[in-house]
Amino acid sequence: MTVRTTALIAGVIGVLLLAAGLIADAQRPPRDVIAEATLSTSVLVYEPEMIAFAADSTMGIEGEGDLVAVTARPADADAWLAEHEATEVTGLPEWEVLATEAYEPQTAASASPSPSASASEEPSDEPSEEASAEASPSASASPSAEPEVDLLTDTSSDHWREQWEGTDRLEILASDVPAGEVLVVMDRSGEALASTDVGFVREVNDGWITPLIWWGIVLTAVGVIALILRFVDLRPLQAKYEEWIARRQRTGEDEDDARPGSRRARRAAGEHLPEASLDEEPATASAAPTPDPHDEEGRA
Amino acid sequence: MNRVITAGAVATASGLILTGCVADVPAPVMSAPPMAETAALLDPQSTAIIDATMDELAAADADKDADLLTDRVGGDAVTIREAQYTRADGDDETPVALPSGQQAVYSSAAETWPRTLATVSEQASEDETPVMYLWVQDSIDEDYQLRGWAHMIPGATVPAMPGTTTGAEQLTLEDASLDPTAQSVLDDYLSLLREGTDSELNDAFGADSYREQLFTARDTLTDAAEEQDGEYVDTIQSVTDDTYVMGTADGGALVFAPLEITSSFTVEDATVSISEADEPLLDGELDDKVTHHYLDMIVLSIPGPDAEGQPTVVAADHNLIKVSES
Repeated sequence: MTVRTTALIAGVIGVLLLAAGLIADAQRPPRDVIAEATLSTSVLVYEPEMIAFAADSTMGIEGEGDLVAVTARPADADAWLAEHEATEVTGLPEWEVLATEAYEPQTAASASPSPSASASEEPSDEPSEEASAEASPSASASPSAEPEVDLLTDTSSDHWREQWEGTDRLEILASDVPAGEVLVVMDRSGEALASTDVGFVREVNDGWITPLIWWGIVLTAVGVIALILRFVDLRPLQAKYEEWIARRQRTGEDEDDARPGSRRARRAAGEHLPEASLDEEPATASAAPTPDPHDEEGRA
Repeated sequence: MNRVITAGAVATASGLILTGCVADVPAPVMSAPPMAETAALLDPQSTAIIDATMDELAAADADKDADLLTDRVGGDAVTIREAQYTRADGDDETPVALPSGQQAVYSSAAETWPRTLATVSEQASEDETPVMYLWVQDSIDEDYQLRGWAHMIPGATVPAMPGTTTGAEQLTLEDASLDPTAQSVLDDYLSLLREGTDSELNDAFGADSYREQLFTARDTLTDAAEEQDGEYVDTIQSVTDDTYVMGTADGGALVFAPLEITSSFTVEDATVSISEADEPLLDGELDDKVTHHYLDMIVLSIPGPDAEGQPTVVAADHNLIKVSES
């Protein structure tokens, strides 16, 4: 196998590597991912386990109007949720999807049998009159004389511990929710929430893509060069090169060819040989060290 | 065609490789992390409840109008305060002062209802002892309501109570964790109140000025009635449904017990009279009999099994709510 053939094969491999690298680069999955779920109830629940799972992530809730999020002890939240239709976020089956299901109260509603009737009567009477009085300036509210609903204040708020409020969108850092407490998010007007999302940062093992691209570039370049050399006739150029090399090798072999007065001619004439001056006086005996006979004897 | 196949293969391979590059979804958290504070109410919550209650009480006090006691004050507290307003209207005196500042707050650990919140107020003045308040929440939908209060007995000490980390255990009158049960101790105390100083139960309870005053008044009125060939009879009943028990730190309990007391004074061939201060509460026209109706609140401290001391009333108020002719 010639060098050219090897280079061509390398070029083909390079093209494949480069293509794979570029496609991989274009489809590189993002590290920051948002898992979402759509909602159809006005109350959303994040249990302590799910909040612990979210860790440092941000939980977002979208709706229309005034949104409020509150925390409570699990038993208190469960008792409150027993009287409200709610959706619970249960997990993360895929990176972009939040799993949800209808919230099922863990305690029997009989724990507080009397309040549901008495609590609903009082607000329904009073606000209906106020609503009709306040609604007259507003065209949108006038057709319906339904009582105003405030999920947060229609019943006692004594059991809620932490509270966040927002309009249209509410964002809560999971780590801001006290450990072990349930997060309940509601649209205060009772309208259905739109969606909820949790942002996660995931690990993506994409460190091989950039080296792959560079190796592809190098090998492709080698292949391209080999391909070019396959189609271009370089023999004239090669002949010129060989002739130039041969001329350089001939140069210096024939000293007689030196031009008179040139440096080569002067060198040939020995002009630059050093002039050594020889001293005719012999060296004195004292100049040279004299061996000590006693030393020799002593050594002997 | 081969190029298309090659390109497709490369793209597929890249996609598969990249799919493998993304880490798996983390495993779910299967158990909830423990709560730092498990009491039903933390300090900000109890402070909000107390402030709302005191604001409502202050507004009602300003107008001496019990109808303003709607949301945060309920039950016997409204009845008692209404009677105090009525008495105050008569001679323009102010109703009994209820300090708004609290020096101790005891929250329940209950996860069911009803549940309670108790506090010990600051001392309103040198002449008055701190007041013990009791709030009750009947259900998750209902606000905590002030249901009663009682001034502390001079020299009495409230036992140590659990903090907000755990909260105080919400006990029942029949709870077997107390031996004897709170119901038994309360029944004994009621028997002592009925029997007087000669009762064998007198030594079973620590001294308290509440029963001393009750016994003194009984003796005085009995003597007065006998002088007029009349009779003095009082009855004492507890209100079990409105009695609440909170566990103390040493395994004992604080029992918040309302008591209904009636004092009937009858004379022969004469007309009874009452003090001018009580006249605004008179219902009817007096002849030879008058009955005073009281709605008292006592706070009975039951020591834990390893604690020294006897059951003792640490706070009590004697509240006149009505005077009737029969």
